[in-house]
Amino acid sequence: MKKVYLILALLFATVSIIFTVLPMGTLAFMPIIPAIAFAILAMRNSDGRILHGSRLILFVSASMLLIVIGKELFVKDEVVADKQFEQKKVESEKEATNELESEGL
Amino acid sequence: MKKLILAVCFLVAFQSGFSQIKSGEKLVYAASYNMAGMMTQLAQVKLETNTVKTSKSNYLHLSCEAVTFSKWDSFFKIRDLYESYVNPLNLKPAMYKRDIDEGGFKKKEKYVFKGNTVAATIKKRNYPESQKNFSIGANTQDVVSILYKLRTINFAAYKPGQTVGFTIVFDAKEIPVVVKFMGKENVDAGNLGAKDCYKVSISAKTDALKGRDKNLIWLTADAAKIPALIRFSIPVGTGQLTLKTASGY
Repeated sequence: MKKVYLILALLFATVSIIFTVLPMGTLAFMPIIPAIAFAILAMRNSDGRILHGSRLILFVSASMLLIVIGKELFVKDEVVADKQFEQKKVESEKEATNELESEGL
Repeated sequence: MKKLILAVCFLVAFQSGFSQIKSGEKLVYAASYNMAGMMTQLAQVKLETNTVKTSKSNYLHLSCEAVTFSKWDSFFKIRDLYESYVNPLNLKPAMYKRDIDEGGFKKKEKYVFKGNTVAATIKKRNYPESQKNFSIGANTQDVVSILYKLRTINFAAYKPGQTVGFTIVFDAKEIPVVVKFMGKENVDAGNLGAKDCYKVSISAKTDALKGRDKNLIWLTADAAKIPALIRFSIPVGTGQLTLKTASGY
């Protein structure tokens, strides 16, 4: 049973790393929390490889949790200045004005 | 007699939607998408108005842009621009433009409204540009001008459940739209604070909108009727636009 918990913890921890890297925001909590839970379950009354493995997974999952919380608190959602897009907007308005003029509208 | 006629004209104009939309207005929203039950902020949506002049007319240029936040640009970059050039008094469109770039998928459309005919130019991906003319009704709006047209409705005089119909043109097709007033609710309106809003449901005979009373707009219950919150349900999922800042209204 402890092996099952360890495998589940590993699976969720892997997904949590992916979600943390991707800009999923607090959605990353969904795999992180089960990873921590299964790692703790695997750790209880374990020794040897299982204990070592579950501690490692717990450490990784907890790190992901801290990273996600840090990103939510300190990284603001913002739009990068896109010169190409700004230029496109200006040209589009110019083109439209010229066409309205030529259509006699 | 002159004053009476003038009063009647104003009354008719207000009932039929005399535009109070000002040039220089800027509304900024955060667009969120529902992922596994949690709203995740993806993009900024900006609605702006400005005046455009030709030798014959003045137009109100309505522009709607959607830009993904920088953290999403590496994964799925969106740069969408929707524009409408309308009569400033009655918001009747003269030209509509759509230029979208979503994760590499590009599409451009332009509709020139000439009376009851639309001359459409469409370019999708790397296919050659195609042109199409089609007829529309006298009061047909485009998808940008309809959002502003909604703001000219006198919802204060409406009862919950009361509806009003419009027709829009999208993807070179006319689509009937029904707007239903659902009452008033207090909603967070960004820099405007918590405001009483008219809650309005939008339904249309199109696959683009899903569900009943799932596509909702909350408009501030004042003269400006700023959209404070928009919730949508489309084939790829659900999401919302929350107002962050409003200025120039």
